[in-house]
Amino acid sequence: MRLELGEIQISDVKLSDCSKVENGVLYVNTEELRALLLEDEDIASVEFDVVHPGESVRVMPVKDVIEPRVKVEGPGGVFPGMISKVTTVGSGRTHVLRGCAVVTTGKIVGFQEGIIDMTGPGAEYTPFSKLNNLVQIVEPKEGLKQHQHEHAVRMAGLKTATYLGELARSLTPDEVKVYETSGVAQGKDLYPDLPRVGYVLMLQSQGLLHDTYVYGVDMKQSLPTILNPTELMDGAILSGNCVSACDKNTSYHHLNNPVVADLLEQHGKTINFVGVIITNENVYLADKERSSDWSTKLATFLNLDGALVSQEGFGNPDTDLIMNCKKLEAAGIKTVIITDEYAGQDGASQSLADADAAADAVVTGGNANMVIHLPKLDKVIGHPEAANVIAGGHEGSLNADGSIDAELQVITGATNEMGFNRLSAR
Amino acid sequence: MIRVVHYINQFFAGVGGEDKADFAPETREGAVGPGLALNAAFKGEAEIVATVVCGDSYFNENLDVAKKAVLDMISAQKPDVVVCGPAFNAGRYGVACGTVAAAVKEELNLPVVTGMYTENPGADMFKNKVYIISTKDNAAGMRQAAPKLAALALKLAKGEKVGSSAEEGYMPNGIRVNFFEAERGSTRAVKMLLAKLAGKPYTTEFPMPSFDRVAPNPAVVDMAHATVALVTSGGIVPKGNPDHIESSSASKFGRYSIEGVEDLTDATHETAHGGYDPVYANADSDRVLPVDVLRKMEKEGKIGGIYPYFFTTVGNGTAVASAKKYGAAIGQELRDAGVQAAILTST
Amino acid sequence: MLLVTNNGKVRIRFGDLCVLRFIEGGHEDVLKAVRDLIHTGHKLLTHPLAGSVKPNETPYRSVALTEETGPLDLESLQLIEDALAVVRSFRPRAGRGLEATPSMKEDFAEIDLRLIGGAIGPHLDYKKGE
Repeated sequence: MRLELGEIQISDVKLSDCSKVENGVLYVNTEELRALLLEDEDIASVEFDVVHPGESVRVMPVKDVIEPRVKVEGPGGVFPGMISKVTTVGSGRTHVLRGCAVVTTGKIVGFQEGIIDMTGPGAEYTPFSKLNNLVQIVEPKEGLKQHQHEHAVRMAGLKTATYLGELARSLTPDEVKVYETSGVAQGKDLYPDLPRVGYVLMLQSQGLLHDTYVYGVDMKQSLPTILNPTELMDGAILSGNCVSACDKNTSYHHLNNPVVADLLEQHGKTINFVGVIITNENVYLADKERSSDWSTKLATFLNLDGALVSQEGFGNPDTDLIMNCKKLEAAGIKTVIITDEYAGQDGASQSLADADAAADAVVTGGNANMVIHLPKLDKVIGHPEAANVIAGGHEGSLNADGSIDAELQVITGATNEMGFNRLSAR
Repeated sequence: MIRVVHYINQFFAGVGGEDKADFAPETREGAVGPGLALNAAFKGEAEIVATVVCGDSYFNENLDVAKKAVLDMISAQKPDVVVCGPAFNAGRYGVACGTVAAAVKEELNLPVVTGMYTENPGADMFKNKVYIISTKDNAAGMRQAAPKLAALALKLAKGEKVGSSAEEGYMPNGIRVNFFEAERGSTRAVKMLLAKLAGKPYTTEFPMPSFDRVAPNPAVVDMAHATVALVTSGGIVPKGNPDHIESSSASKFGRYSIEGVEDLTDATHETAHGGYDPVYANADSDRVLPVDVLRKMEKEGKIGGIYPYFFTTVGNGTAVASAKKYGAAIGQELRDAGVQAAILTST
Repeated sequence: MLLVTNNGKVRIRFGDLCVLRFIEGGHEDVLKAVRDLIHTGHKLLTHPLAGSVKPNETPYRSVALTEETGPLDLESLQLIEDALAVVRSFRPRAGRGLEATPSMKEDFAEIDLRLIGGAIGPHLDYKKGE
């Protein structure tokens, strides 16, 4: 499969009365966009704001982050199964608005976390402080159930990203990157001497506020399957996950999966990147056994020599991670896993809820329990009352000066388990 | 100026080799031997005011006396921070450095850092107690070790935040510390995978907790002369459970005499265990702790004898860490008593 | 199926559909009851740390086990002991757990219900309620 990714650099986002991209500035017609979003009967109101890198502003509670994209050539459309039809994506040409993102906020449950600080120490831990973000504050109709609320906010984010992506359709990209993957058999002919490597991508799939969608399918209802790496770049995998801000994979992470990027970078040079095996993280133990059996079976079908496994979330996915690792290693497939840690505020507790000697090559995104001091910022947007909720206690006390002492886990993307960040721990 | 006291052995002080290893502790003014490299690495921010020298044999063979003498000498110099070694791969020197460093930290409440090779026996003994800079296995590694020792000593003396083991160069000590790597995690993972595929060395960022898989001991050859001990996690206790061992998540183990006891009965013993139906154990505790059978074997000459005490705890929900602690204490007593075999029963 | 829970919503929804043991107590009390059941031979069917909501946040926990008993299942024992260790490593948090506001508790209860429901639903013989 061959996908051209045309990148248009966005240096600023401005609210306006006409939507367009001009000289690298993204103008957003908020009235038009609002009308589009309010077509959803579950939504009572939508507000917009823009935040820039370096500004003294805190966004919370963040639900999802999405990069605007549009399919300009080839089959299907972006966000298949959710916005576009379920046609297989990942080939042709896609345009992307780089340097900006849609950030959705929504207080779906009372304890919602997820902070993006645009400046200060908190900004160092979230990748989204480096982007110009269109923040979308969605209020639901009275009496909306939690799962309907989640759906409304999720779809509103995707609609906005699609609406903005559409503005890039006829633009000339600043740069066009070409991603080309080989078929299973063709790769063997092209690179007979390179080790065959696959990526086992674990997706959160436990239930309400813990879901991931693949071509619109709730991943907990699917067996592990195989994707072409470029499919991810068109939004084949989207996040419905609202819990564990630091180590949930936002849709932005799925669109810009760093493992896929780094493996493609090595493809044809040091390795033969064969494909992506996606698997789930279900609650039912027999599901965990079955899914890890299947991910290993698929890896064996693909004749892999090596595999990289990434995780999502806290606690029981550690069991899926270790099962995947153990079974891959037992099948003779050399495996490296990426995780994060909950080692306690003092760093002295056991980091993972599961462990096995087979997991002898681990990359960590850091200890999510580490306490961080977040100074008072000039402005809080989204749902400022959530600040008081986060501020409710030992691990998140709102100090007299308005600053917050909280664990790293409240920061969106801080200990990402795809290896998106430089943060680590020893 | 930050005051540093340096602890080294007789060899590095230039007193002599193995033949001088019984050298008693003494204080020398200023820096000696490897201390010169340390002083240079302090770059004027700190200075070694005194060096305490002790022979390795002397230290290890007169542990209590030597430790006290060394501590007194160190504390007399009123240091802000103490550096021990580095000991590289010298085993007894490493143990001495670790012992002195741990005592400086715990008894003098002073910041301290030492250094040694990762396979030095002192490393495993002390790496979770004090900062140990990882060095090469011989003194040629002093050039790389000195800047790390000096940098960490300065940080500790100034009360600055100590970074992760990977940044500072100390041996991982079970405390996880966050820091920013040069590359993002996915890139590190791909590199690690390439190394693993090529059979090249790589370092995991999170070593899995070590798993205690205990290899069985060889069989006891002469059972007819062996003393056998009885140990159980089945909760058998003297009637009334005198030490109140908990029915689950036990916080202790018990040690009770069975000297002269031929048989456990419902009048003498019962179980404290809350995780199984106690009726049969209470009716006849030999079912869990087989005293009657062992006495018979003792009389028949099949075993040499029974250790006069049995050990008991409740396995039900008891934390692995607690169980390990109990096991180590019980094992130590049995080993000290020269017991050749133990029978462990559960429920 | 044997369902151990301290969540009233779970009791209402599943009480008639399986054997349900209701625990008056907190998150850790449920896990301890589950541990004791494992020691008597029940096997875990669902992971005792379901969901990414931290154990010092949600006061609710629901875990499914086999109704029948057999020899002690060591994997279940390992999972529950590891889960208890994780739960105990989180320091209590003001305004969370049993101290959470009623509306927040309702959210926690709903998530717990959905997580356990999603896991055991396909294994229960009943018509989906919604």
